[in-house]
Amino acid sequence: MSDYILEMEHISKTFPGVKALDNVELKVKQGEVHALIGENGAGKSTLIKVLAGVHEADEGGRYLFEGIDADIHRPLDATLKGISIIYQDLSLFPNLSVAENIYIGRDSNKKPWTKINWKSMKELAGKALDELEMDIDLNKRVELLSIAQQQMIEIARALAFDSKLIVMDEPTSSLSSGEVEKLYRVIDKLKERGISVIFISHKLKELFRVSDRFTVLRDGQFVGSYDVEEIDEQQLIKRMVGREVVYENNTQKAAVGEKVFEVKNFSKEGNFKDINLSLYEGEILAVTGLVGSGRTELAQSIFGVNKADEGTLWLNGKDLKINSSEDAVKQGIAYVPEARQTQGLVLEQSIVNNMTLPVIDALRNKLKLIDRKVEKELTEQYIKSLDVRPSMPDLAADKLSGGNQQKVVIGKWLSAQPKLLIIDEPTNGIDIGAKTEIHKLLRRMVKEGIGVIMISSELPEVLSVSDRILVMSRGRIAGELNTLEADQEKVMNLALDTEEPEDKRQPEGAESTVHQEV
Amino acid sequence: MKALLKQKEFSVLAIVIIICVILSFVSPVFLTVGNWMDILEGNTVIGILAIGMTLIIITSDIDVSVAALTTAVAVSIGFMFQYLPDSWFSVVLIFLIAPLIGMLLGAFNGILVSKIQIPAIVVTLGTLNIFSGLVLYFTNGNYINSTQFPQSFMAFSNIEILGIPILIYLFALVAVSTWFILKYTLIGRSVLAIGGNAQSSTRVGINFKKVKMFVFTYMGFLGGVAAIAQTSYTTAVDPNGLMGLELTVIAAVVLGGANIHGGRGSIPGTLLGVLLLAIMQNGMILARIDTFWQNVVTGAIIVIAVSYDEINHRRNQAKLANIDVKEAS
Ligand SMILES: Nc1ncnc2c1ncn2[C@@H]1O[C@H](COP(=O)(O)OP(=O)(O)OP(=O)(O)O)[C@@H](O)[C@H]1O
Ligand SMILES: [Mg+2]
Repeated sequence: MSDYILEMEHISKTFPGVKALDNVELKVKQGEVHALIGENGAGKSTLIKVLAGVHEADEGGRYLFEGIDADIHRPLDATLKGISIIYQDLSLFPNLSVAENIYIGRDSNKKPWTKINWKSMKELAGKALDELEMDIDLNKRVELLSIAQQQMIEIARALAFDSKLIVMDEPTSSLSSGEVEKLYRVIDKLKERGISVIFISHKLKELFRVSDRFTVLRDGQFVGSYDVEEIDEQQLIKRMVGREVVYENNTQKAAVGEKVFEVKNFSKEGNFKDINLSLYEGEILAVTGLVGSGRTELAQSIFGVNKADEGTLWLNGKDLKINSSEDAVKQGIAYVPEARQTQGLVLEQSIVNNMTLPVIDALRNKLKLIDRKVEKELTEQYIKSLDVRPSMPDLAADKLSGGNQQKVVIGKWLSAQPKLLIIDEPTNGIDIGAKTEIHKLLRRMVKEGIGVIMISSELPEVLSVSDRILVMSRGRIAGELNTLEADQEKVMNLALDTEEPEDKRQPEGAESTVHQEV
Repeated sequence: MKALLKQKEFSVLAIVIIICVILSFVSPVFLTVGNWMDILEGNTVIGILAIGMTLIIITSDIDVSVAALTTAVAVSIGFMFQYLPDSWFSVVLIFLIAPLIGMLLGAFNGILVSKIQIPAIVVTLGTLNIFSGLVLYFTNGNYINSTQFPQSFMAFSNIEILGIPILIYLFALVAVSTWFILKYTLIGRSVLAIGGNAQSSTRVGINFKKVKMFVFTYMGFLGGVAAIAQTSYTTAVDPNGLMGLELTVIAAVVLGGANIHGGRGSIPGTLLGVLLLAIMQNGMILARIDTFWQNVVTGAIIVIAVSYDEINHRRNQAKLANIDVKEAS
């Protein structure tokens, strides 16, 4: 027997009009963590779906599992062989309980009249959650959980299955860094037990932390497989994108104009305290800090999702009264949340219909009908600037890869033509090539007079895109840096600001209160 | 989870109780045991059908052929009675054959929906017409009355145990076993799962087509049981007696908290929905309100309840979207 648990060779998959996979190879050794990387739309998820029996590959491929012909034609076959998949778009049942969601599928091959044993189901589900150090009520319906918690439920399901191979398609894109750490610990444990893992992510740093081997895809083709020792980040990027992508620190001084937006004495118990910030015309303001430092909470309070206890807002010469997110939208504030994957996309509708949703009223012509031509032009413009692939405005959103779906969501918020845009982790789930495109787009928006506040925990991104950096720590602004004078070390020193805060409540704790409210 | 589910069922329960209180003032007869036996026995057919419909609606489908299907089975029973001897054996035989015929008719719906993948509303509208056309052809629209029934069946329909009519036991049996199926069997969970998320269900290895096939066949099975109940209750077969009943059945299910979009619905909820419609009907009869006003009021209640539910549903979803934003960190 070979030491490969999984061998896929000459795998092709053609969708009507798209060759998503073209002669691809993926070989995974027993007990290794194998990273599968490539740009948005490179075919990663499609390859996984072939592996899982969701899609049948074109003729001519070779697919062996544990050394013998896999013979997998439907998802159940894969499950029975010990393959578990955590899909990018999750596959949970919102109307069922946590326990049922974790257990489901274990007995899909049993007779329909088999009795369900709730007790052993809960035991098993509880054990899987314990392993993930998660404390969730097993009886709670999954639709009442946060996206991050839902993601953990999926992972728990894979653990509960006693799988031999677990595939995780971008499991970390909606997890906080604390949860990501937990996941890594679990992956280490899996490895010790000899379980193989395929891990898909756009965060190369985390891949170097967990993976033993890389397989790179580009435009549906196999580029190569590499051991972690024989390659570095830059080389990987070059192989993924086909060219070098370098982050260059912003070296140009922005022509700063009038003040456009101001936050005065903003406080919210347990989240942030005494926040004062101003945004000037022509600049991108970055807000950074560790997870739990209150960045996202601040943005959400500005946007009216959870109201601040104290403080006022001021936009373009006017004091603002914002009690809800609707108010904020009416005042011209747009907020692109970090977890966009499942939000605000009508999957069966076309890209056009999704993108122009917020501006549909403005697009009406004299007859009060929607002007299809203008609509299409607008969409094509965003498709181009966000590099949505394939660039077909009429394609249904569910035919797009996960990352491209995210770009459509971003385009949707941008098309609303806000006066102030707050964008949270703008390049989460987006490949390294498209990242620079999004950065350019933000620059352009600023030039057009839109105020941009970017929240990001990726320091290279912060340093290359912004003009000014606010670093938050424990719910306060720990310091402000001019990007021209900043470097990673200076930012980290502020972010790690070790002075004891007055209020002892940890932002971590604040987060979990939110969870419990649900 | 339970809190929310219960809340919903509680609100139906609360309305039921309020109406009961009002009606007990309007009519002294309302709260008597005899009246309640009448209400329950008279709604056994609707109740049994609503229980089957609950499963179909949970899978986000609909079956508008139920009343026609039940009538078709009832007519078959009527014809068979002409040849069956007067013995308990005939009653047993009917209990075997009627559900079987129902299952076959239901399976026909099921095949069209799951294998050929025609939308259920189209399929069942078609079979509704086929079933009722055949019924009219074979009966010429005429009653089959009890003179042709075996005495043993008449005796069966008069059985009371502890002062409770046999049909109420039948109703209870159907309700308890279907509740059990939904809560404690694999197939029941699969029904809920495909209603919750069809794509996920195939990914975890649930056979979507088989489950669809099951809900329609089970609906047919219960249609057969309902046909026996109907024949026993009216001691006759009326080819037009159940016309339009499918709407009441669907209304009861939706009133009971099942959602047309699928995924949500429960047997206790549906029972409350049936009860709510039943006591309103009963109350208006006791209060001597004209039949057409009865229909208007019933219709209005259904519209209000369903819109309320839909609005609530959307509001909850909006809230959830907010929570997502809130927790995106
Ligand atoms: N069901 C489908 N029908 C048609 N085209 C599809 C379908 N699913 C995927 N595609 C196309 O196949 C290509 C590969 O998509 P895939 O989802 O595998 O990308 P990916 O590598 O997972 O990208 P991402 O990082 O954005 O998730 C894309 O061009 C996508 O539009
Ligand atoms: Mg993908």
